[in-house]
Amino acid sequence: MKIKFLFITLLLSSIVSLAQEVVELKTTASNLIVIKLMFRNGSISDPKGKEGLTELTASLITEGGTKDLTSTQIKDKVYPWAAEFGSSVDKEVSVFTFIVHKDFLTPFYEIVKGLMLTPSFTEEDFKRVKSNQQNYVDQVIRSSSDEEYSKKALEDFLFKGTNYQHMVEGTSEGVKNITLDDVKNHYKNYFTRGNVMIGIAGNYTPEFLNTLKADVNQLSNTAVVLPLAGKAAMPDGIQVEIVAKDNALGSAIFTGFPMDITRSNDEFAALMVANSWLGEHRKSYSHLYQKIREARSMNYGDYSYIEWYDNGGSNMLPVTGVPRWSNYFSIWIRPVQTAKGLKAQYPELGKINVGHAHFALRMAIHEMDKLINDGMTKEDFELTRTFLRSYCKLYAQTPQKQLGFLMDSKFYGRKNYLSELDALLAKVTLDDVNNAMKKYWQTKNMCVTIVTDKTEAEPLAKSLKSNLASPMSYSNVLKSALPKEVLEEDKSIENYPLNVKSVSIVNSADTFR
Amino acid sequence: MNKMKRLFAVITIASLGILLNSCGKQKPVEEKILPYTIYQKELPNGLKVATVEYDSPGIAAFYAVVRVGSRDEVEPGKTGFAHFFEHMMFRGTEKYPKDKYDVVLKSIGASANANTWLDRTVYHMTGNATMLDKMFELESDRFMNLKYSEGDFKAEAGAVKGEYTKNSSNPMEALDEAMNDTAFTSHTYKHTTMGFFKDVVDMPNQYQYSLEFFKRFYRPEYTTLLVIGDVKHADVEKLAEQYYGKWEKGNFVTNVSPEPPQTQTRYCHIQNPGFPPVVQLNFKGPAYTDTNTDVFALDIISYALFSERSELYKKLVVKEQKVRRFNGGAFFTRDPYLFSINATLVNAADMQYVKDEIMNALEAVKTQKLDSMLLTETKSNLKYSFAMGMSSPDAIAENLAYFTWLTGDPESLNRCYAMYEKVSAEDLNKAATKYFDKMALTIATISPEATSPFAGGTPIDKPKL
Repeated sequence: MKIKFLFITLLLSSIVSLAQEVVELKTTASNLIVIKLMFRNGSISDPKGKEGLTELTASLITEGGTKDLTSTQIKDKVYPWAAEFGSSVDKEVSVFTFIVHKDFLTPFYEIVKGLMLTPSFTEEDFKRVKSNQQNYVDQVIRSSSDEEYSKKALEDFLFKGTNYQHMVEGTSEGVKNITLDDVKNHYKNYFTRGNVMIGIAGNYTPEFLNTLKADVNQLSNTAVVLPLAGKAAMPDGIQVEIVAKDNALGSAIFTGFPMDITRSNDEFAALMVANSWLGEHRKSYSHLYQKIREARSMNYGDYSYIEWYDNGGSNMLPVTGVPRWSNYFSIWIRPVQTAKGLKAQYPELGKINVGHAHFALRMAIHEMDKLINDGMTKEDFELTRTFLRSYCKLYAQTPQKQLGFLMDSKFYGRKNYLSELDALLAKVTLDDVNNAMKKYWQTKNMCVTIVTDKTEAEPLAKSLKSNLASPMSYSNVLKSALPKEVLEEDKSIENYPLNVKSVSIVNSADTFR
Repeated sequence: MNKMKRLFAVITIASLGILLNSCGKQKPVEEKILPYTIYQKELPNGLKVATVEYDSPGIAAFYAVVRVGSRDEVEPGKTGFAHFFEHMMFRGTEKYPKDKYDVVLKSIGASANANTWLDRTVYHMTGNATMLDKMFELESDRFMNLKYSEGDFKAEAGAVKGEYTKNSSNPMEALDEAMNDTAFTSHTYKHTTMGFFKDVVDMPNQYQYSLEFFKRFYRPEYTTLLVIGDVKHADVEKLAEQYYGKWEKGNFVTNVSPEPPQTQTRYCHIQNPGFPPVVQLNFKGPAYTDTNTDVFALDIISYALFSERSELYKKLVVKEQKVRRFNGGAFFTRDPYLFSINATLVNAADMQYVKDEIMNALEAVKTQKLDSMLLTETKSNLKYSFAMGMSSPDAIAENLAYFTWLTGDPESLNRCYAMYEKVSAEDLNKAATKYFDKMALTIATISPEATSPFAGGTPIDKPKL
């Protein structure tokens, strides 16, 4: 009887093991071992009133201790190894990454196992980690980078009323409400063995992988009911939210509208070509960059996106671990000058009321309209496609990045997104690109957030709401140097009609409450 | 929020030490940090070329390191100019005007950009290794034949102002600007690389100066090419001869005023009720050299005293929870700069306490012998941090670039590690005694209050030992 029981147990264990999602990247030349655990629960799993719980749970797992070691003892142990580990939560997934030199894999793995299977969740660690997260939502996001702020504010605006609305880090009230018991329960209910994808890269042994798989099977076996990704309703017209704060030198703009396509769809490659031409991230051949920054000297850069690009201010290439089913198109206009700033810099602009935000928005939407209506030229299409087929190879230069892309591929139901993308790009046609734009892009309905100075908010709101002309206010020194064609084109842009239907002003202190 | 666990060195060079292993099939070279040969060649015009053959199929990183930075902005009203000029280098030549340059660059499928700091400007292009010839052609053309209109010059100035504008929303930028302005009186480290805002606004009026700037610094003797990846060094050197051989040598040398010794504690403060309180202690530090242990000893001290392994972290961050995080360290720079410790606080009311705790820890290291295990483990951390980071041509290139702009010689990376290994507990005592002088200290703070809690005639307490 006992033997039979054991047999059944082993069989069940084997079935569970077989069902595990595992992504392997064996790289014999590397002496690093990278382990990634991707759980299919992100901030959309946060309970109402406890926004930020997934983030806090994941943080506490990696920043706390285990049943055997305190967080301090762990830091002492890993210090000479320089091992790296941490968590990264997005809307739909939470990813734990552990990287260590193979010299220390055995002792480091004991820590990995302890953190994931027997986190200590002490009051002391909880208090520290929660305090930092609370500080992020209360202060840091509002006062560190207006452009990052405008992006988080746009998601809050575009996804209002859905589980996609709140920041991954939560809301001020949400984080405040989270208790240590909430964290323990969330860990048990969502960070489970049935909800995880294992990723491993490096020169590991089959035995090590078997150990890892068996240990991951020791996670809670609670059946997880995952919420569906919240979909944003298409905005009615252009809806603008201006976030007013003290002493902002510029106006940071982010716009977007929901778009029903992701990497899982083969048409994504066609849209990628169009988007690369319109606004390739941090590239001077972004058309928006050329029009707004290069020709008009208005800001530091202007780009467009067909999927979430995490921390674009710091990253030159896309990061992994942020796959999403609920997608949106967006345009990022980096901070442009306010009237207050321009008046202080140039006496000849002493009488202006509004800075450059309205004109920049018009310019971006005008260029996008033109692209959708006219389509790409054959020449631009070929060049952009050639660029992308080479450029995408730079996305995954390290084993860690390669592993991340492979795991994201599985999320989207693909095997290897980057290689499949190359094949799709190879066969995409100009017609495919132009048709995809007409199918998925438009400019009549979108949400816009603008983080700006308090003095700019009212005049800008009035200008947008009434579709007032927004002539460019160049300094004399610049105006005298600009080509005639630029100044003439400005005339056609300054009155370009935008389908603005509502404009609201929000005090910075009232965001993310 | 990506929160990969970070070790201490946030400001100092990200990681230094031995490249124990990496993704590469090459046979390791014995007893050097970098287990790959750095092939070096100098052309008759003074241009240096360094190549590392690295196993990155189909990918090559091409870096041009120019030893000019905001340190070289000696004339009044020209702060921020080295960075501005970095922008101008993308404005085209006769052969490749801006539009054409973009088309060619796009056809290579490269990731290309540039950045400027105190002592250097670095241009980098990473892409298809089979297009190496085209990379050389494009880069050499703009370095030798840059040509832009006054209109383009004025237009680009707005982009620099835009960069300043986007940075300005972070109070740490304002603190950095104020701190440098306070800590230095005559050396050009007085201003940040972005420059003073008034100079940034005035940039469109400096066209003539920009021509002079190009003539001075964009010369072969200021420049080193670093090519890393799926390449052969003989090919790289041949291409360098072919494309840069005719580049004319210059003769300009920047005359930077030395900074006089600081004889009194200085203070600067940013009032901001909406930002976490910050206390930052900045001591005058040494210039980088790989011929004595000073800067390496200071770097080790910063890890030992303020990393997550340190006693102070355990006390102030984990136990008492008065500090959210520490960062800082010894800056590696061409001229004497700073050793900085930055603490982000939970409550501004704890500023005095936290400052005293930091000062006590720094004071103690002057006389007390650092635990030998901690010293050994810190050296190990430095080595493995470096090894962990070396997994792409860009990562290798960035590290070599650092030592190139510091010394002109990428081999200094190898010598640097040798110096870390040599640092003894006594070296730490000596470096601490030499540099942790409270009269050579600048305390920079951010808090909701209007003034610094330490200024206004309040003497610094004698540290408790």
